[in-house]
Amino acid sequence: MKKLIAASVAVLMTVTACGSGAYDATVIPPKPQPKAAAAPVAPAPCGDTKNPLRSYAPENVSLSSPTLKKIIERKRLIAGVSADSLNLGSRNPISGEIEGFDIDMVKAVAKAIFGTDVGHLELRVISSPQRIPVLQNNEVDIVARNMTINCVRWQQIAFSAEYYHSGQKTLVPRDSTAKSTTDPELDGQTICAPAGSTSLDNLQKVNPRVKTITADTDTGCLVLFQSGKAYGISGDDTVLAGDAAQDPYAKVLKEKAFSAEPYGLGINKDNTDFVQFVNQVLANIKANGEWAASYKKWLEPALGKATAPAPVYGR
Amino acid sequence: MTQTQSAPPATWSPPTPEQTAALQRPGTPTPRGAVAQWFEGTPGRMRAFLVLAAAVSVVFGLCAAQGFNQSDGALQRAEANAAQLVRIQAIHTNLVSANADATNAFLVGGLEPPVQRQHFVDSMASAARLVAEAASAQPADRDALGQLNTTLVTYQGLIEQARANNRQGLPIGSQYLRDANATLQNDSLPLVKALVAANEKRVDSEFDGVGNGVWWVLLGGLVSVLVLFFTLRWLAQRTHRYINVPIAAGGVVVLLTTLIGGFALFAASGDAKDAHDGDYASTLALSRARIAAYDARSNESLTLIARGSGTAYDTAYKESAATVDAQLKKISVSSPGAGLWAKYQEAHAEVRKQDTGGNWDLAVQIATGSPSVTVAQNSVEAFAAFDKATAKDLDGTSSGVSTQLKSARDGLPPIGWLGLPIGILVALLIAWGISQRLGEYR
Repeated sequence: MKKLIAASVAVLMTVTACGSGAYDATVIPPKPQPKAAAAPVAPAPCGDTKNPLRSYAPENVSLSSPTLKKIIERKRLIAGVSADSLNLGSRNPISGEIEGFDIDMVKAVAKAIFGTDVGHLELRVISSPQRIPVLQNNEVDIVARNMTINCVRWQQIAFSAEYYHSGQKTLVPRDSTAKSTTDPELDGQTICAPAGSTSLDNLQKVNPRVKTITADTDTGCLVLFQSGKAYGISGDDTVLAGDAAQDPYAKVLKEKAFSAEPYGLGINKDNTDFVQFVNQVLANIKANGEWAASYKKWLEPALGKATAPAPVYGR
Repeated sequence: MTQTQSAPPATWSPPTPEQTAALQRPGTPTPRGAVAQWFEGTPGRMRAFLVLAAAVSVVFGLCAAQGFNQSDGALQRAEANAAQLVRIQAIHTNLVSANADATNAFLVGGLEPPVQRQHFVDSMASAARLVAEAASAQPADRDALGQLNTTLVTYQGLIEQARANNRQGLPIGSQYLRDANATLQNDSLPLVKALVAANEKRVDSEFDGVGNGVWWVLLGGLVSVLVLFFTLRWLAQRTHRYINVPIAAGGVVVLLTTLIGGFALFAASGDAKDAHDGDYASTLALSRARIAAYDARSNESLTLIARGSGTAYDTAYKESAATVDAQLKKISVSSPGAGLWAKYQEAHAEVRKQDTGGNWDLAVQIATGSPSVTVAQNSVEAFAAFDKATAKDLDGTSSGVSTQLKSARDGLPPIGWLGLPIGILVALLIAWGISQRLGEYR
């Protein structure tokens, strides 16, 4: 009988699993490891030795050509732009408008189609890796987002003639005595460049002694710079000028650009009629002073005087 | 002892253990022999029954007390854990609500509407207070809550930097806002979700545990009633008296305690189940619906911020909105929530219609509650109405859970602390009953 009691008590103990109120500590979830950024695609040497800047010769394309007809029927031009590159394409937090040098280019295109850009231009904010896919999927008509013309991209999309000639430089703290990106003072310092960008590749080539850190975007680099995680930022001079304008404790090194970044407007590969139309618009604004006025307003204060790059045609 | 010593062997050699045992067996008993003698014969067996039955009675008393304490404890812990879960869900709601304010404010630029800013500040303050409360309420959550607090400090710092930059019209403000959003999504919310999961599990296991106490009472009762019955039968056979009144009385006490205790615990377990399937389930569903609603609201703003390339955010909006609908269907109380959510959905549809139609500015005006658009379309007011109504419902259901569990506990008879005295009483009755019969053998 006693054995029975002992056994039943033992069974009860296990069946009821006496709750005492002492719980296991809540498991803290492990932090997700950041995915390694895709390696930058090095600009492939052009298959032919011809200049990648060549675009389609401008023409006063008839407004009934397929691409223009589609845009006119829609009653608006859709452009993919940046909203956080100050002076190129950035959202003015006060007015809510996206404005800048890149934006002026697409405004000129909308104006040439509709007579005015007001109400006929839809700006879609896209990130840098989205630039080519949105064109290929025809989600936008044109991309104006500090996009460098190169041979690899020519295989995927078409470009207008060059509308600005940029180059890569480095931004450092105001009190830095470094003279250029290759200055020994920068050796071992952490320099930021956007992940997967050609800027990162160029930087590692020109000064392999710097430590690199990446952010998702150009502005992400500025955040790292401001939080002290990066000593400097390397990128297009236009972008760096915008960064320096937002941070009085930063300056762009007064050096010769160590890479050539010719900017073009991206357009779907099949819409050559539209490329020709846009090239005509660019030729017009370069000639009538609109280009110069826009440059003066947005970029000249930071980058100094410059003239419109001469177009190259013949594709 | 004297016998073995009085006749020592001629030649002494150390006795083997067997020899010693053999030498000790005959003659006057050893202490162990005394115990055996005490249990010898009919009075000895009576004493054996007395010891057994009394022990079983005391064990029954302990079992009953254990059963009641266990169920009572489970009810108490279920209530405490449900309260903790509500607290964690409230932290979650406050965080997504603050984030929805911050993202929405971004659409209007540096000049935030004061009401929205106040709502953000209040949400963050409530979250901070709740984190401290939750950490003292559940020690097992302390580490996770500590981590959560760290991420919240980072989040708030980034938000303030975003505001400072936005206020100066610098585009980098948007990057700080994105980083803040990423901190919340990638660092804070996984912790909150882990906390929610851990507490849901605790609540469920305590609710399940409420019914387990009854087995102690029933099994303990059954065993002691059987022992008492056999004792009575054996006594009846040996002493030719039909019934031993004190032992029978003891049996009745055991039986009554078992029945009353068993019923009370069954009833409490039923009450707990009702609370679990009723108000507790509604509380969970309402919390989830509110969290999903705030997520949806954030995604509405993010879709607009992305200006045409926010397809991913729009998909996320649709998922969250579907969750809200599904969760609102699960609540058992009558709530205006579903109707108000439908109203907000209409306002959202208008926002999307204007945005996809190329009229981004009007879409933003509707989404930010600009006074220039009519009230029927205003997504801010529609959302605020939903928020207010569901917050009230949530208050009702969560206090319903604790009221129901409290009343289930209050309804339990005080067997938790009376169990052992009852067992001792029964043991004394048995001792009294058997000692009457033992007296006849003197």
